[in-house]
Amino acid sequence: MLKIIVPTMMLIPSTCLTATKNTWLSPTAYSAVIIILGMLVLNPGDTLMNTTGLLLGSDQISTPLLMLSCWLLPLMFMASQSSMSHNPAQQKRLFITALALLQLALMLVFMALDLMLFYTTFEATLIPTLMVIARWGSQTERLGAGLYFLLYTITSSMPLLIALLWVYNMKGTASITLLQLLPPMTLTFWTNTLLWTSLMLAFLVKIPIYGLHLWLPKAHVEAPIAGSMVLAAILLKLGGYGLLRITNLLTEQTTSSYILPLAVALWGALMTGMVCLRQTDLKSLIAYSSVSHMGLMTSSILTHNQLAPSGSMIMMVAHGLTSSMLFCLANINYERTHSRTLLLTQGVQLTAPAMTSWWLLACLTNMALPPTINFIGELTLMVSLFDWADITIFLTGLSAFITSFYTLHMFSSTQQGTLPTHIITMSPTQTREHLLMTLHSAPSIALIFMPQLMYCQ
Amino acid sequence: MADSSRLKGVGYKPLVGVSLPRTLDPAEYQQSEQTRQQQAERLAIRARLKLQYQLKLNDPHRQGLIEDPAMLRWTYARTNVYPHFRPTLKTSIMGLLWGVGPIVFWTYVFLARRVRENDWIFW
Repeated sequence: MLKIIVPTMMLIPSTCLTATKNTWLSPTAYSAVIIILGMLVLNPGDTLMNTTGLLLGSDQISTPLLMLSCWLLPLMFMASQSSMSHNPAQQKRLFITALALLQLALMLVFMALDLMLFYTTFEATLIPTLMVIARWGSQTERLGAGLYFLLYTITSSMPLLIALLWVYNMKGTASITLLQLLPPMTLTFWTNTLLWTSLMLAFLVKIPIYGLHLWLPKAHVEAPIAGSMVLAAILLKLGGYGLLRITNLLTEQTTSSYILPLAVALWGALMTGMVCLRQTDLKSLIAYSSVSHMGLMTSSILTHNQLAPSGSMIMMVAHGLTSSMLFCLANINYERTHSRTLLLTQGVQLTAPAMTSWWLLACLTNMALPPTINFIGELTLMVSLFDWADITIFLTGLSAFITSFYTLHMFSSTQQGTLPTHIITMSPTQTREHLLMTLHSAPSIALIFMPQLMYCQ
Repeated sequence: MADSSRLKGVGYKPLVGVSLPRTLDPAEYQQSEQTRQQQAERLAIRARLKLQYQLKLNDPHRQGLIEDPAMLRWTYARTNVYPHFRPTLKTSIMGLLWGVGPIVFWTYVFLARRVRENDWIFW
């Protein structure tokens, strides 16, 4: 575990000490090496925990997400190069430092075996993200967006802290490995409900679930590209990861308090899909599509079904790559037209036909087209929900239909249509951008051939 | 210039969703001098704005976007719906119909299914 934590920590001084002409090259190459080191902690096998101590270990739930976050770091650096080019060198280094700190916190979250370490690093991911959103976003609304993001998550995780401390008090241990083996507590109805609610609430807000999702469109739209990428790809999955851990820990504590969040998440998947159809802002559309996909995942995890962890792992990795790719594509448009409004950025198929093929690939994977891993994940989640209650097929089927509807609407609004007359310079696409798209789509295409890397038995 | 007596018997009516064109409206040909002057002033303002836009559009030294304040207001309005939300009768009914209602409905459906399958009482 230290073999990836210490290099990520050392990324910060090495960035500050490299020459200014290598400001982006050096951290990108460095974080690419960290990806290779990260593969050494991959645990696709059957063992419960690959651990070297009491605090850090990896599991079949945490390893795909860890790999995803390692994979995204060089991609974030590559994507931010052009938008940060006018900043002085010290600010570029500060940006890279913020992202490296975020990466460090994310690694510790996914590898944490101790509930207190998990909680601390869960909260610690908020600060670098807030720095990135509020300092380097492009509109004035970024301050409100950062505030919404921070306060929603912190307020909902206060009950989480209390519940985790209470569990530690009751059970005598805060270790995830040990807590799975202890017998359940006999609690009264309201104590049980309160325990479940306070444990689930923080993760439900983070995922986000439909009623508490207001921070997400703001944060995604106002963040710079690296912030959007990491938010959509990883920080949302923190909520899913936490929910999976909690449902694993407390399987025996029977409760029916999970049915309300399940219904909210499932209805929310449908509602946010329909909201997507009426969005005028491209990044806002992609943000609401994230809420929709994550709503399906939330409801599946809450059924405590056997298939739910596998489906949600595949969905998390697939959605992370796809959403990040869509945000990169939206940023490529934004850098050229400086506008996110769909009406003003249409017709780019004429100016950048190579990007159109990447747009098509991203939209097809977003729609969960077979045989992509998005399809496998979505199908697994739908099957697990159907197994739980067959009437959910109406909601999941409708939401899958609406997903394809708004995704194709997004594709045709950006690519086809008349090119706006007031845009006179669209600089050609750069190799860096094509490399970015390749590195986003190559893992998801490769995983089509071996999805069992992400299945949990 | 059409003769107003010629249009009187014809009876053009506006269709559903489409307003009557100004040239087919008999009242257009009976406007007073003051309304004609106001129409001319508004036309002058519109023409001036169009000229300013055309100048910016065809300016050879322009490098970026043309900043359109109407577009800015429109995008601001489309993105900032929640801070200006006001609970009225219509919005409350919409909220109940599309938000609270379906969630209560689906929660009840799922609970009923679980109770029936597991032979439980729900706690």
